[in-house]
Amino acid sequence: MAKNTPSPFLPSTRREFFQLGGKGIGLLAFSRFAPAFLVNSTLAAAPAPEKDRSILVIVQLAGGNDGLNTLVPFEDADYYRLRPTLGIPKDKVLALSDTLGLHPSCAALQGLVHDGKLAIVQNVGYPNPNRSHFRSTEIWETGSDSNEFVDTGWIGRYMDNACAGSPADDAHDPLAVHINTLNGVPESFASSQEHPTYGMLAYGGGRKDSEETRKLLEKVADDAPKDDDGPSSYLRHTLMDALVTEKKVQSVLAAYKPSATYAGNAFATSLRNVAGLIASGLPTRVYFVTLNGFDTHVNQITQQANLLTQLSEGLAAFQKDLEAHGLADQVATMTFSEFGRRPSENESHGTDHGTAAPLFVMGSRVKGGLHGTAPSLHIEHNQDITYTTDFRSVYATMLDTWLGSPSERILAGKFNDLPLFAAPSVPAASS
Amino acid sequence: MMKLSVAPQDAWQPLPPGDWNADAARHLLRRSGWTARPADVERAVSEGLSATIDRLFPASPTLFPEPAMVANFAEAAPAYVQRIRTAPPEDRRLLQREQRERAQATLTNMTVRWMQFASQAENSAIEKWVLFLSDIYVVSFEKVYNPPLIFKHFDILARHALGPAPELTKAVSRSPAMMIYLDLNQNQKKAPNENFARELFELFLLGEGNYTEADIKQAARAFTGYRTRPAFGDVILVDNQHDDGEKTVFGETGNYNGDDVIDAAYRQPAAGAFLPHEMVKFYLSDTMLPRDYLYGLGSAWSSEGEYSLRWLARRFFASRIFFAPEFRGEFIKSPVQFYLGLLQDLSLDVAPVPRFIVGPLRQMGQILYQPPNVRGWVGGRNWINSATLAARRTMTESAFTAIDEDALNADEQVEIVAARLNGADRFTVSDQSLRSFAGMTPEAAVSHFTSILLAKPPMPAFTAALSDFIAQGPAEPAQRMHRLRRAIATLLEAPEYQLC
Repeated sequence: MAKNTPSPFLPSTRREFFQLGGKGIGLLAFSRFAPAFLVNSTLAAAPAPEKDRSILVIVQLAGGNDGLNTLVPFEDADYYRLRPTLGIPKDKVLALSDTLGLHPSCAALQGLVHDGKLAIVQNVGYPNPNRSHFRSTEIWETGSDSNEFVDTGWIGRYMDNACAGSPADDAHDPLAVHINTLNGVPESFASSQEHPTYGMLAYGGGRKDSEETRKLLEKVADDAPKDDDGPSSYLRHTLMDALVTEKKVQSVLAAYKPSATYAGNAFATSLRNVAGLIASGLPTRVYFVTLNGFDTHVNQITQQANLLTQLSEGLAAFQKDLEAHGLADQVATMTFSEFGRRPSENESHGTDHGTAAPLFVMGSRVKGGLHGTAPSLHIEHNQDITYTTDFRSVYATMLDTWLGSPSERILAGKFNDLPLFAAPSVPAASS
Repeated sequence: MMKLSVAPQDAWQPLPPGDWNADAARHLLRRSGWTARPADVERAVSEGLSATIDRLFPASPTLFPEPAMVANFAEAAPAYVQRIRTAPPEDRRLLQREQRERAQATLTNMTVRWMQFASQAENSAIEKWVLFLSDIYVVSFEKVYNPPLIFKHFDILARHALGPAPELTKAVSRSPAMMIYLDLNQNQKKAPNENFARELFELFLLGEGNYTEADIKQAARAFTGYRTRPAFGDVILVDNQHDDGEKTVFGETGNYNGDDVIDAAYRQPAAGAFLPHEMVKFYLSDTMLPRDYLYGLGSAWSSEGEYSLRWLARRFFASRIFFAPEFRGEFIKSPVQFYLGLLQDLSLDVAPVPRFIVGPLRQMGQILYQPPNVRGWVGGRNWINSATLAARRTMTESAFTAIDEDALNADEQVEIVAARLNGADRFTVSDQSLRSFAGMTPEAAVSHFTSILLAKPPMPAFTAALSDFIAQGPAEPAQRMHRLRRAIATLLEAPEYQLC
């Protein structure tokens, strides 16, 4: 299926595991060759991450994207009342319906809506919104209530629930990959059990160290104590995983030939790398990519236009690339941002921290168009909008319908699934 | 939760003199600075703990001098701004782009100069302390885009680094870079901008949960009217933009200005414990100390210490809890510490070629003057992922690879020549510098390097793997030297060396 996949599972990597002293490497590392009954019993009821499974790509719009100027209510007089200078004139808006349309920089996204490949969930947020970047990001990434503090992320709990003991978990192929994130591993990935994850910079990058040092390093790194969860143990695990994965990832990306033109910016390059890794058949189920800079307190117009251009063109290239490689049915991409911005513009041609905002879900199996309801702007100056769709309903949909892992255990509660997918993921989430 | 060997009431008592030894000195030097060179350890042991801390945190530290390129940029800025303003529209864009490029180059130069300055052992502790303060009072070049203002911000931090904390906070509220970064410059009477007031309470002084949204709104009014002209770097208070009505902050009401709000914040019990909390995170451990430890130090700092930063540094670095065995060798080095510590450990000089400095720091996850956001760098395990570990290894490899000077461009060669004239000419590890170790037995050489480079003794299998590697192979000197170099590089790339 992946046409230009350069030998996705390098046998040399497998052999190395033996050389490393067999740490954590059993028969299951070779699940593709293991008897089916053995693999199945280990997996119990949880669908395992392996190639051909559904994949979720999360795009973080860091800083708080202004939802009102992303999905513009161009027939709403209140919108123009609250946004005397930042309001986008009706004739510039890329209409999606009689009342709503996209920011002028989102032409490519408008095309995806028309093709039925882009869903827009309106007015997503949570009760008692917090306006601190960090706290609100934490709430989104952990999937918690705004007054509860949770130390695992929603993807981390997904891995705990669905992936523990799976072949990929043993084989050190990453279950989740993050590219170009702000602070290393995203909090979304924090889990109770340990799972292989992998992080890289947008532009990848080769290294010049010698084979010799790597082999010696593998030897000394494997000799450290194994029984604690202190920083030393953390470092050693990260290094060992990295040594193996790095070799594989670099060869995959170097050989990847995208079938779409990506812009040269870090965000588009990150998506190109995601496409390359998906095409290689890695068992990774979740990718996390960040586009930063949405904290537009001042001079929002140019800044947001530039960022939305990157987002729109990056996502469209990614979708086109996946389609050309016959992978589009396998992948859904969703965006999130820690909050929207305040409906009233400030005096600096910007907007301050707000609450709910729309988010995008893209994919060939997505039910395109508008979902949920638009926020009411019948509000006072400097008042915030009230969310109408809880962000955990989006997560629940991704978990139940797309990734095929019951959301109730992962989200600590029942959130209603949304009809975001026209068809279930491939293969159907069987258990 | 980590089990602590010191009770809260004893935690901040000074380390008993009998516990001051070479291991303790190494711990102090590595945590307060970049690393612990054998000669510095020896000196610290003989001088004693108290004298060593006094020396590391002197009453009047040497300040990082303003780089000439930064001064030139500042001098030319008003004229450039004027030129851009009066240019015909078709030229304006080009001039603006030139100015941005000039700003970027100047910042890069400042990064190089600072790395050179901070790499000097006598400046290390104080510059790390300034870096610590800058990780609280965060500004980013990405928004400010003005190197002289970034320099000035760090200069403000350095000048107030060991003085009274409220004076530092007040000075920061008048730092043009901060005023731009958190939109204080846009804060006006009829439309208060809350950005600065919010971060003042959340990230500079108190922490989340110790103030209300109403406190922020009222405080924002007190900070109205602060204005700076970026090209000049001056600060004025514009009376007709300042809201001089009554404000209620933390339940106190008055006709407050910004300084009054800062004073009011320092009267909150949370203020005493906030900086100790940040110090623990930056200097001591990934695992936060329990609240009673933090408030123990916090209340002593506000009463007995009168919010003196020098008092706080001295109390913290001399304390029993700072030296507790559970913290030794268990802290992940930041990229800057890794970089400068590596150079000091290998007796190398900073090679003043921008791309040798800025590139590796970026890859390792710490771009100086450009923290990821207003919270600064999170640190600890967040420094480490497969990408940043790979970058640390690349950095190590370049310390063992001679610079191909013919491949440098002209500017870079000029920098290298200038550094040489100043006597800083050891940029990479030479065979010469390792000659005395090549003659030792492999075991002796490895034992020497692990003892000076690692914060904790490694597992026997670790040392055995390295000495076996040196021993096995042709005995011919060049080959043996090659294996010694590979062994040291591996030691530096190992997980153990990432810890201090």
